[in-house]
Formats: sequence, C-alpha cells, structure tokens
Amino acid sequence: MPRSKVAWRRLVFVILIIVSLALLTVTFRETETGPVHSVQQFGAGLLSPLQSWGAKVAKPFQDGYTWFRTIWSAHKKANELQSQVQALQGEVVQLEQQAEENQRLRGLLDIHDKGTYPSGTTFKVAHVIAKSPSRWEAWVMIDKGTADGLRLNLPVVGATPMAGETLAGKGLVGKITYITAHQARVTLITDSTSSVAATIQGPRAEGMVEGSLSGSLFMNYVDRDLRVDPKLVIVTSGYGGISPAGIPIGIVANVGEEDVNPNKEIEVQAFVDFRVLEEVMVIVLPEESSSGS
Amino acid sequence: MFVVAIVLQTMLVSHISVLGVTADLFLIFTVVIGISRGSLDGAIFGFVAGLVADLAFMQPLGIRALTYVLVGYFVGMVVVRFGTVGPWAVFLIALGASFSAQVLYGLLQFVMGPRAGFFTILGVQILPEALLDALVAIPVYVLLIRLRVIPGPRGVEPAVSRGGTE
Repeated sequence: MPRSKVAWRRLVFVILIIVSLALLTVTFRETETGPVHSVQQFGAGLLSPLQSWGAKVAKPFQDGYTWFRTIWSAHKKANELQSQVQALQGEVVQLEQQAEENQRLRGLLDIHDKGTYPSGTTFKVAHVIAKSPSRWEAWVMIDKGTADGLRLNLPVVGATPMAGETLAGKGLVGKITYITAHQARVTLITDSTSSVAATIQGPRAEGMVEGSLSGSLFMNYVDRDLRVDPKLVIVTSGYGGISPAGIPIGIVANVGEEDVNPNKEIEVQAFVDFRVLEEVMVIVLPEESSSGS
Repeated sequence: MFVVAIVLQTMLVSHISVLGVTADLFLIFTVVIGISRGSLDGAIFGFVAGLVADLAFMQPLGIRALTYVLVGYFVGMVVVRFGTVGPWAVFLIALGASFSAQVLYGLLQFVMGPRAGFFTILGVQILPEALLDALVAIPVYVLLIRLRVIPGPRGVEPAVSRGGTE
C-alpha cells in the first residue's frame, strides 16, 4: 500500500509537470486568438475587479509609506534645490531669450508647427490597478482596454506631474503589449526587453533607450565622437513607428566611455518615477499613423 | 484558503513593495501546504496557484505553474526527512524554496531574453524576495495552524488545541 501511494504521488507530479510544459508550449505557439489565450483573457477579466479594488484599498498604505519616505529625504533635497534654483534662474533668462529668437525665426521661415502628435490623436487617462510582481518584468496593468478604444502598441505617458518640475512625471512610460476588453498591460520602458529610439536634444545624438533588470535606463548606440553632457533632455525620435517623435523620456544622468566600445554608455534618469505610478495617459494615435510602420 | 491567497495577493500584497520587491503569497501558501500536507498536495496546490498567478499577472500560462509544482513537491519531500517543523525550519525551507523558484523562473525568463547579469538580478530581486517570502511564511504558517486550516507539525498538537487528535 505505501509503495502504491508513492507511485501515485510520483505519477501525479509527472502529470502536472507535463501539463505545465504543454500549456507553456501552446501559449507560445498559438496565435493571440487561440483557445489558451482566450481562456487567459477570460480569467484575467474575472480577476480585474479584484485588482482594481485592491489598488484602491492599498492606496492609503502606499501614500503613508511614500509620505514618510518623502519627509526623510525632503530636508536634504531642499538644500540641494536651493543651490540649483540660483543656477536655473540664470538659465531661464537665457532660455527665454532663445525661445523669443526661435519664435521670430520660425515666423520668418513660415514653418508650421505640426505639434508632437499627429492630427486625430486623442488621449485616455487610465488608473494603474496592478504592477509586475517582480523585477523580472516591468509593467503596470491599467483599467482601460479595447472597449475604451485602446489597442496594442499604443504609447503611454505619465499623467501625474510633480509639483514645481516642468517635465517630471510627464515622460514616456511605455507601450501597451497585452490587452483585453477592460484592461491592458503596459510594458514600461525600464523593462529589460524594452527599446525606444531616442534623440538627445542639443547634439541631436541618436540611439536606443533600453531598460534593464535593475530598473535603470540606458541609452545605447550613441556615437562616442559626439559630445553629450549631463542634464541634456532625451526625447523619442519617432523611428520604429510606436511613439511619435518628441515625447520626453528623461535626462542624461551619467556619460561613460570605454576604449573597446565604439559607443557611449549613457545612464538616463527618467522623468517618470515608475515606483509611484498611479495614473497614466494613453496616446491614442490615429490607426494609420500607428500601423504604418 | 486558496481563495484567500488570490484575494490577498491581487488586492493587497501586490501593491506593497519592500526593497523593490513584493511577497509572493502563491509561493508562500504552496510552501506551507507542502510542509503541512506533503508533496502530493503541495504539487497540486502549486499547480493551481501557479495557473491563477499566470492569469492574474498576464504571463505565459504554465510558467509559474511549472515552478510552483516543483516547489510544492520538493518542499513536501524535504519535510518528510525532518519529521517535525518549527518556525526556523519554515523560514529556512521558505527561503530555499523562494530562492530556487526564482532561479528556475529566472532561467525560463532568460530563455525569453532579458538583459541583466546574474549578480545584478541576484542582488535586486532574488535575494530580497527570498528573504521577504521567508519572513512572511512564518506568520502565515503559524496563523493557518492556529486557525486549524492546516494540521500542526507531526507529533505536536497546535498551541490552541485543548485535546483530541486530528
């Protein structure tokens, strides 16, 4: 009897392993409309209200934790900001002069400002209802889906600007990589599989902003002969067709070079704080402009 | 208990991160079931919990199911060797189980192509979460015994028990 019990236990174990491997194989091999994906979408739909409710329940706890963390670092930051303010005031005067000059020259050349987004673009604000459970992936789940006019590969930007900073909180967040009727998964630009074509304003250096498992952002493939200084703004270049050109991503935090590497190693500080994302804005591009690439 | 795991994980635990990681209640419950009910129940619970986790986190169906089946089964096998299990043993078993599960999960992820060095992910993900899971596993284990959801350690009655047998 004990012998048959052990055999039964092993048999069940082997069956479960085989079923898991079979499910995994079918998930990767079948199309997005296949039966396993349909079951997954149905199941995700059932769990969606729980996640949405959970986000609301957990918010006071998260806010409390964030408040304590903010207080902790506020004093140190205040001193740093004080010295930065003086330097920035000088830069503001200079930038205002440049903006006036820019406007004047545009008028002379009769250039029409097409704006960052193509005409017909609309925006959908969505709430973050879940986040990736580990650092293996970096994504957030939002409470809008195909029923709200969203679709795969639409770019997503931050919708919670931070007080006192012009671009903070408003940069590129990621793109939609999985979608159901009422929710969508947004893969963040910090995900290790994410790559976004980008340009550094100033030297107009081009490269790819890529995520990593550590959560840091790097801009790769930038020619080392180009001069790149810290604090320059990095924006999307529009290549690849997912994101329109000109969406702010972050600033150059650190520039490194190695003798054996023909490219610079640029660390990027994102405008969006991905740890405290609560709301995002999906840029709903016209069908032809996003599917054209 | 299974419903409680789903509700707590999706509603609360997933939203609270410590050192950048969140506790994995599906894994912790699988470990606790493996400890208290043996490898067969551990593997079955791990399979179902893994499927639900795959659904909740919109991941390839089967990736966590495979990981948790192995965890539930081998935890049950390890506990058979110990006989009785105390809080420290729960901590160590959960630590080892979470570490192994994440390494296996990482290997599966690596096949799909993330970019990171092993030591980077060891420092930012695997070790912090293994420690967090192990710390959370102790109160979960004790609480479930006190609530009589799972049997106490073999040969030892639950602390609140006033007599009788299982």
